Amino acid sequence: MLTIDRRLLTHFDWMLFSLTVCIPLVGLIVLYSAGYDPEFAVDFLGWLNVEFRSPACFKQGVYLLTGLVLMVVGMAIPTQTLYRYSFAIYGGALLLLVAVAGFGVVVNGSRRWLDVGLFKLQPAEFMKLGLIVTMARLLAKSPPKNAIAYSLRELLVPAFFILIPMGLIAQQPDLGTALSLAIVGVCQILFVGIRPKVIFGVVLAVCVLAYPAWNSLHEYQQRRVMVLLDPEADPQGSGYHITQSKIAVGSGELFGKGFQKGTQTQLEFLPEHTTDFVFSVLAEEWGFVGCTFMIAMFFCLLAAMLRVAHRSRDLFACLLVVGITSQIFAHIVINIGMVIGLMPVVGIPLPLISYGGSSLLSLLFGLGIVQGVSMRRTLFTSV
Amino acid sequence: MPRSERNQLNLGVRVIWAGALCACCLAILVGRLWYLQIVKGSFFRDRSENNRLRTIFITAPRGVIHDRNGEPLVSNRPSFNVELVVEDTPDLKKTVADVAELAGENPDELYERVSKQTKRRRFEPKIVLRDVSRDVVGAISAQRHRLPGVVVGVAPARQYPFGDLAAHLVGYIREISSDQLKSVTYSGYRSGDMVGQSGIESSLERYLRGERGVQAVIVNALGSKIGEAYTQPEIPGSNVFLTIDKRLQKVADDALVGKKGAVVVMDVKNGDILALSSAPRFEPALFTGEISKDEWSDLTDPKSYKLSNRALQGAFPPGSVFKIFVAAAALSEGVTDTHEKTFCPGFLQFGKRSFRCHKHSGHGRTDLFEAIVQSCDVFFYTIGQRLGVDRIHYYARDLFGFGEPVGLAGMEESVGLVPSTKWKESYFRNPQDKKWYPGETLPVAIGQGAVSTTPMQVARALAAVVNGGKLIKPRVVKRVVAEDGRVLEDRSQAPEIARVIDIDPAILQELKRSMLGVVEDKRGTGHAAALPEVSKIRVGGKTGTAQVSSRESGVDVEDHAWFAGFGPAEDPSLVVVALVENGGHGGAAAAPIARQIFMQYFNVQEPQKPQKTDPKKRSRVEVNRVDH
Repeated sequence: MLTIDRRLLTHFDWMLFSLTVCIPLVGLIVLYSAGYDPEFAVDFLGWLNVEFRSPACFKQGVYLLTGLVLMVVGMAIPTQTLYRYSFAIYGGALLLLVAVAGFGVVVNGSRRWLDVGLFKLQPAEFMKLGLIVTMARLLAKSPPKNAIAYSLRELLVPAFFILIPMGLIAQQPDLGTALSLAIVGVCQILFVGIRPKVIFGVVLAVCVLAYPAWNSLHEYQQRRVMVLLDPEADPQGSGYHITQSKIAVGSGELFGKGFQKGTQTQLEFLPEHTTDFVFSVLAEEWGFVGCTFMIAMFFCLLAAMLRVAHRSRDLFACLLVVGITSQIFAHIVINIGMVIGLMPVVGIPLPLISYGGSSLLSLLFGLGIVQGVSMRRTLFTSV
Repeated sequence: MPRSERNQLNLGVRVIWAGALCACCLAILVGRLWYLQIVKGSFFRDRSENNRLRTIFITAPRGVIHDRNGEPLVSNRPSFNVELVVEDTPDLKKTVADVAELAGENPDELYERVSKQTKRRRFEPKIVLRDVSRDVVGAISAQRHRLPGVVVGVAPARQYPFGDLAAHLVGYIREISSDQLKSVTYSGYRSGDMVGQSGIESSLERYLRGERGVQAVIVNALGSKIGEAYTQPEIPGSNVFLTIDKRLQKVADDALVGKKGAVVVMDVKNGDILALSSAPRFEPALFTGEISKDEWSDLTDPKSYKLSNRALQGAFPPGSVFKIFVAAAALSEGVTDTHEKTFCPGFLQFGKRSFRCHKHSGHGRTDLFEAIVQSCDVFFYTIGQRLGVDRIHYYARDLFGFGEPVGLAGMEESVGLVPSTKWKESYFRNPQDKKWYPGETLPVAIGQGAVSTTPMQVARALAAVVNGGKLIKPRVVKRVVAEDGRVLEDRSQAPEIARVIDIDPAILQELKRSMLGVVEDKRGTGHAAALPEVSKIRVGGKTGTAQVSSRESGVDVEDHAWFAGFGPAEDPSLVVVALVENGGHGGAAAAPIARQIFMQYFNVQEPQKPQKTDPKKRSRVEVNRVDH
């Protein structure tokens, strides 16, 4: 199944692949600085005569290697298989989410993880994939009747599929992931098209429901949104993250303070600088030039993925790629927006850069699926 | 899955829209980054610098104040201050209340003190409590976890090895007041600095203070120090050596215990002040910690004026001590000579008024010598009348320096006053009061009336009489030596002579003879100052018993007792001026104090004879008391 068809290689998207590898490698450089720990030293690199002192970077390197293997697995899975088992994936992820609600491990006040002995599993990550394939299948199977845009009635079933996992994740509480789940689903729907009337109605409904929704938010979540509007009001409390992050980003100026010279990072004024606020580290140490370069790389990646979507064989494959693309896109915008004070502080990592195994592994797996779609674009096999 | 579906929807358009959306959103991000990093970049760069650097000021130890033999009178010791970093304290009121509870202070008072807004750098600790005990340090350290922002700092504090010895002279230091902070004199100071508030501590502040050190410390987000950006070490204050002799000072201080008054001991040849004592004294150590309201009201009680240095700041009528200088004037002006005798019937009729002599039965026929020895008022009324007030003013003020500032190390002092017709004309506004009446001259001639002087001025003037007419500028600072050994000021060389008094040395010799008579003559008013005969050391002097308020006012206040003495007779080296406020007769209250100092200075032991309890001697002392 893996190495059979030479035709697969003819449509291998080298552009997509190189970006998929380059971005995490750049991320490793940033992470080395962000996770620098003078106490930490790795022996096996001793022959290089380079002192390697960043546990976060080291572990992320290991995750990256694992992730690349996982990407090959993603490439190998035929698109048709995903189509066939989409509901199964969705159902399995949903069961895990219910299990989390039941026996999840509480960390930092939220119940997001399942302890499976060796490591902690975050079923929300599975749900992302589950939702993407399910939505792609639902939408591909019943395209808009007028061949232009969906009506409200046609959207009831997909909406149902989005809201159930979203609700389960939101109550963990993990508002960021819940929102990104919704964004992915909505992006897929929007890609196909919605009638303007429906969009208008939904916007109206959201406005009406905003008040009770606001009240149902946890206090810390409310504060995060309020702080976004006026971060200086509480610089020591909730505004600390945003204030320190803005100082880090702004103080980078045009060319940055230089590798490992970021005071905000190295002196730990910046919280969570290996995970959610890793972009601040990049901004502080590499400046506007570094940031623009990184955003440009992301844009190239998104463009490459959209090109795959465009060239894909059928609507399911296209929507599958669009779903994965929108997920990455949403994470980039939300994370960088948060770091530079345009969005509230929600726990969304920066794709391919932030330290964290599950995020990197699931992203590389997703990118493998996209590569797989690209490779099979002229294949008419019915596996 | 039918491929036809794909063609139904125009995916190309949709992909382009999606790409455009991505581009737009990312462009917004880049725009925002441009704003933060390029437009406001330098602002945030400053903020990040402020984040990591904290400035720490290090208090420099003040200079040590020594006596003339190098014995430290005021030194330094480490002390613990409870400090508070306001930025690290989320609930200031609660934390202050917790600290107050541990230290046994009033929470509201403490909070009021802490919340007083003063100029301060970010993260600069504010001193909450000064010089706390080890118990409080222990209690606070043990409770650190619930006292966010509270730190215990070590800073040098003043140590007084001899308690209140020479308290008025050395003075005290206290936290700079808000008024002082505003004044130009204290332009380089910061709130919380300790500043000399009186005495040498204040007048030599510029030498003693040293220079505070500055340390820029790199801290991490938790405020822990992780390195130093730069350090400018503190420079300890310069050490001061006074002319004070600690042993003489101790004798003077002890002699005044329980009294109000002052003692000045001065070297007549070079102007060195060997002792300068004022009573009642205060404990300068009180000011290193927090002063309670009771302690403060005790210190500022107007009944005792504990903080006032009477030797310099007290202006008193000199009484009969002044007669020496009137006599000098009379002999110089030739209004009398050493042979003229005046009859003292116990009073002098002047116009309608009768001016009494202190000895109501009268001294009989007295010459100048007798008049000084027995302190006859009538004699001095007579020669004072002949001199007139302006000639007395000229000799007392322009020659002997009464009513003229002494300028002792720049310490605060009273100027005193010797009246004159000019003074009266300018002092009173009412035309009737401006005229000087001849009858007013009489009290001036015996050191009463408007005459007032400080013990220091008396010492300076008497020194001029016994050293051959040199009015020497008294000095109390011998040397100022910087921490690195540089001598900043050295006054131990030639004395500074304000002027040489133009009086025939024979006249001064005669006055000296009379003053020896005051102590040595059996009828002398200052006999209580005489040293034991075995010592062979002769001292002279003049008593003074100054009326405080007129008898008519009905207030019965004891007179001020004065004794101004010198020794040894042959070649005087020392003057001692003792004043006991409301002490009664000078011969009884002040002369014994001077005697104690002479004994210490000349190293004379009290003879172990039963003479002390000899009934004859006792009765003579009592006679003296009745007489004067």
